[in-house]
Amino acid sequence: MVMAFLRTFVVLFGVYLAITGNLEPANLILGLIVAAIITVLVPPRSRAGSLSRLPGALWGLIRYLVILAVDIITNGINVARIVLDPALPIRPGIIAIPSGCHNEVATALSAHAISVTPGELVMGIDEQFTLYVHCLDVTHAAEYSAQAQAMRRELLSKILY
Amino acid sequence: MNLVLELFAIAVVIIGTAFSVIGVLGFMRLPDVYTRLHATGKVSIFGVVLLLLATVALTPLGFAKGLVLIVLLVLGGPATSHALGSAAHRLGIPLRQALRDDLQALESSDHPEPQRVG
Repeated sequence: MVMAFLRTFVVLFGVYLAITGNLEPANLILGLIVAAIITVLVPPRSRAGSLSRLPGALWGLIRYLVILAVDIITNGINVARIVLDPALPIRPGIIAIPSGCHNEVATALSAHAISVTPGELVMGIDEQFTLYVHCLDVTHAAEYSAQAQAMRRELLSKILY
Repeated sequence: MNLVLELFAIAVVIIGTAFSVIGVLGFMRLPDVYTRLHATGKVSIFGVVLLLLATVALTPLGFAKGLVLIVLLVLGGPATSHALGSAAHRLGIPLRQALRDDLQALESSDHPEPQRVG
């Protein structure tokens, strides 16, 4: 419980310092107070895992972010090419992708990762954690997105422990 | 070092502006609400993030401040697109040129058993 509070507190304090960009003692104290108040007002719901799994989680997070960045860039260029093509070769449609996670946070993060990729947009999620994804190019997405989701699920299970 | 930073900023500004223009072009060329969301929501975010990178490199905005802005943008953008798309589908705005719509089957049947992929 203390670990969960501490995690929220450290993140909030870091964001405060980043926004103000000021390391004077008075500002540090104000940041501590603001972070403490928000931490108390917004109690953490998830439990924090043990410290020993932190390196694995961080490594998973880095790999997750790198894969996401590569996905965003390649798909961004793809969508730009579709838009600039005189023939406008779109094959839009909505496909169902089982998220494979039985965890709301992991499903929400999967939905975010899919939505942030250009050319794919999550329209809804049902009770069995199936994601309904609108794609600019359905035929390409149908074969590719299931295995992308499998990799994402594996990384997320490491990150969220 | 300064020159490298400036060259980086110029390249990023050009690419970012190009992607923003492509976003607007896509908004005009694509046929319906859902496909247009792809063009405006994502490609534009791509452009704005690149422009922010240039701002960080060229102006005294501060690296950390720019990073926080980029994170907020990347977190918030998809949520906006999802909200608009989901609302449009709920209102029954039709998909143009759609090859398939798995969500339609779910919304119209009493016992949802969607066709699954993969």
